[in-house]
Amino acid sequence: MLKRKGVSVLLVMAVLGVLIFSASASVLAQDEQVTITVGTWADESFEEAVALFNEKYPNIKVELQLAAINDHHDNLLTRLAAGGEVPDVAYLEDQYISTLAARGGFVDLSQPPYNGDEYKDELVGYPFAQATTEDGELVAMPTDVAPGTIFYRHDRLQELGVNIEDIKTFEDWIEVGKKFMASGENRWLIGDVANIYTMMINGSSTDRYFNEEGELVVNSERFLKAMKTAKEIRDMGLDAGISEWTNEWYTVLREGQVLMQPSGAWLGGHLKEWIAPETDGKWRVTSFPKGYDGPWGGSFAGIPKSSDNKEAAWKFIKFMSTNKEVQWKNFEIANMFPAVESLYYKDAFEEKLDFYGGQKARLVWKETIMNIPEINTSKHDSMISDIMWTSLGEVLEGTKAPKQALEDAERLILRRIRR
Amino acid sequence: MRQNFAGSNNSGKFTKKLKKILLYIVLLAGVLATLFPFFYMIVLATRGRSEIFNYPPPLWFGDSLEDNYQTLMASLPFYKNILNSLIVSTSATLLTLFFCALGGYGFAKYEFKGKDKLFFLMLATMMIPMLLGVIPWYIMMTKFGWLNSFKPLIIPGAANAFGIFLMTQFMEDIPDELMEAARIDGAGEFEMFYKIVLPLSLPGLGTLAILTFLGSWNNYLQALLVLETEAKFTIPVALSMLRGKVDQNWGAQMVGTAMGIAPIIGVFILASKQFIAGITEGSMKG
Amino acid sequence: MRLKKKHAPYVFISPFFILFFIFGAFPILFSLYLSFFRWDGMTAMRFAGLGNYRFVLTDPWFWQSIYNTLSIAIMTTIPQHVFAIGFAFILHRGMVKFKEFFRTAYFLPYITAPVAVAMIFTTLFGSPFGILNAALSGLLSLPLIGDLLQLLNISYPIRWLGDPNFIRPSVAALLTWRFTGWNIIIYYAGLQKIPKGLYEAASIDGASTRQTFFKITLPLLRPIMFFAMLMSIIGNMQIFDEPIILLGVMGGTNRAGLTTAMYLYQTAFGWTEFGTGSAIAYILCFFIVTASIIFNKYFRREI
Repeated sequence: MLKRKGVSVLLVMAVLGVLIFSASASVLAQDEQVTITVGTWADESFEEAVALFNEKYPNIKVELQLAAINDHHDNLLTRLAAGGEVPDVAYLEDQYISTLAARGGFVDLSQPPYNGDEYKDELVGYPFAQATTEDGELVAMPTDVAPGTIFYRHDRLQELGVNIEDIKTFEDWIEVGKKFMASGENRWLIGDVANIYTMMINGSSTDRYFNEEGELVVNSERFLKAMKTAKEIRDMGLDAGISEWTNEWYTVLREGQVLMQPSGAWLGGHLKEWIAPETDGKWRVTSFPKGYDGPWGGSFAGIPKSSDNKEAAWKFIKFMSTNKEVQWKNFEIANMFPAVESLYYKDAFEEKLDFYGGQKARLVWKETIMNIPEINTSKHDSMISDIMWTSLGEVLEGTKAPKQALEDAERLILRRIRR
Repeated sequence: MRQNFAGSNNSGKFTKKLKKILLYIVLLAGVLATLFPFFYMIVLATRGRSEIFNYPPPLWFGDSLEDNYQTLMASLPFYKNILNSLIVSTSATLLTLFFCALGGYGFAKYEFKGKDKLFFLMLATMMIPMLLGVIPWYIMMTKFGWLNSFKPLIIPGAANAFGIFLMTQFMEDIPDELMEAARIDGAGEFEMFYKIVLPLSLPGLGTLAILTFLGSWNNYLQALLVLETEAKFTIPVALSMLRGKVDQNWGAQMVGTAMGIAPIIGVFILASKQFIAGITEGSMKG
Repeated sequence: MRLKKKHAPYVFISPFFILFFIFGAFPILFSLYLSFFRWDGMTAMRFAGLGNYRFVLTDPWFWQSIYNTLSIAIMTTIPQHVFAIGFAFILHRGMVKFKEFFRTAYFLPYITAPVAVAMIFTTLFGSPFGILNAALSGLLSLPLIGDLLQLLNISYPIRWLGDPNFIRPSVAALLTWRFTGWNIIIYYAGLQKIPKGLYEAASIDGASTRQTFFKITLPLLRPIMFFAMLMSIIGNMQIFDEPIILLGVMGGTNRAGLTTAMYLYQTAFGWTEFGTGSAIAYILCFFIVTASIIFNKYFRREI
């Protein structure tokens, strides 16, 4: 008798349970939970950023897929090629846009419903050019920018009795470099003269490797001058022949054995945190010689076409690119320069930074950003860049004369492009 | 660096001692070259972030071991990662031994139609650089639904040409007379395999075990592609997570790397003792 | 039901080949197929016939990479095996203690993770401040040795990883360090199989160590030597990770350290020309097959 009663109680509970469940399910269904995967490189600032994102969009769950920066891009390419699972949001470093995004695998964000172009005024303008393909598709939104800047050792300049105000051109830097080299042992103007080449190429024109008409312009005055200057500097012994991100490089930065180091503003963070923390106060920053202001890095985020959650992905990207709070947070935590222009007018930009001996470094960078031209890019950039790089190597080694190297490079590039 | 073994057998006690000393010097020189980098790695594991790149480079232990360890543990479920590596590598090794020992036996001790052609074909597959193979491989793993599991790291590699070739070479010179005698005595084919051939191929099995285990342990590219959640990561993948864009966490990476080597050394010593040195004279008697 | 002798081989080899076929066939065929197309991984494939092969065979950088690959392979394979056989023999026959310790130590380079290898060897080869250069500058200041070194007409400090003349030897040195232990393992196991009785008989007959080595050990080690050397040749012609660790993916100054495998990789993954990359793979394969055949003939004839 009891058993029977027990069973019927259970049955009732079961039915009630199902009713309640389906009722609540339909209520919940109205705020749909979506999960997006975001593929990016491992960085401390992302967790905070996701937290801020979820404050505004609690229904969008974010799964971070982190990898070391090189692996992230390699994996992305492999997955795209295999037609496998790709993240809904893929972060891209500037130099990878040509390889990964410029070939049609990413959504054109200038189209509705995204209309990314609308943010051109709010955000810094030039990165939009970097992320726009030859066909006019906006394949990614800028999330942080990297103004090119020169970090120089103020203490060394003082020892030489030179004022930074007097150094305006590349020739000036060479002169002061000679003085520095003569002043002691193991002293150079710069660690790797290839940086000089990069400085002279990056921002000197709206053309990178191709002009407006789509013609290859590597065999031109601009590149010739860059190669000749680099060779000159190498021949004078003004560069240490040290590659970036090697032990030697960290050493010369620390010991003040090189006078200057061009890079993106983000290098400051590295210098301060772990490369040369003891050199606090000895550095200052200045811009590239006039007419050469250019980018040195920069991050973007795009949506691979095979994503099933494009809407939610776009919400994430839009947030990361344009939301002032998260942009500022990233800047504070990880030194990622904001893409949102209005942030440049915050008081913090006037701050005197101790690491640069009280210099208002951020203003220098702001100035640079405003000067960077809109550079047109091409899907061949990665390949051309590699070819130009080894050409530069040949010139520096003395294997080829600059003019010859450029002609050979042009030939090689055309051969590949024309296939 | 070859030791000069010239000299007659009538060496006096002194020459013998001299030879011994020279031998040890040569061996120790080799140890210095191979042990030093390992030692240096441990030194770096005890050094703080900016100390690691000091000039001159630090050659003695620092005091940041605790910090580096904490950073490592805070960033990753590292003991789980070690466990994952152990599971993957052990499974891969056992599976590989199985397939390759069987296959090697077939090639080594039997004649059959098409044997040479088949053998050469299999050998030839090793000569095709498979750097791009990762794309079709990934396609397959996706289609099988094996993503974010250990299966892709264990199963596909078990039948590899290197393994079967190695086993064949190690089994080949087991005397055929031994086999014939056993057949006459009424032994079956399988019986001969595990009673006679397998014990005699212990050095080969041990070698294959070590090399397979190691290859699996250090497998980076494929593991990176298929493992998606931290809890599933093997050691190499886990450690690569420490390389952020801003902070490279060298000290923590070194600690992790050092911790990751300990199990392999254990396996190596185990396998060496059991397999390679384990052969006894008795089994050779007819 | 007993297994018949004539069925036995097929039974034994089929598990291997089934698995091998399932997982090995598709990648190989896919790669081959791809070599006749242009493909960037994302857009549609375009048929190219032999175009990729023609392009690669007329590409000066490809031929340079072949030269690099061959010279590095030769520079490292010979020392690797000479050292490996030597050390394995000493450990096996020389009455030394602590064999475990030595064997483990020699194997360490192969175990060491790439990250650590990178750190160590860039410190070793660094210029101007690397360890080797520091040692050299010490030697240069010594009276006799210093003069001899000056005579060599090299500019010090040596840019081990920057000077095209030194890049290939430096890579070869790293490879030798890394893979000799691997071969020691294999040779040591091979030595285990030689019956001790033979050595005893030889020593009773009054044979010296040298005679024993050349008349007994080497001949009986032949199958293992063939295996290990062939594997070495095949492997060293596909060297990829180690040069990248030292030089970056384009092989350093003047592409002196660009191996064909690296060039393949960069063509496919760096420049998204997967079809061309596949063609490079199969052309390299041709070179490897040729090298193997030459080795096979030579080995049968010699030792």
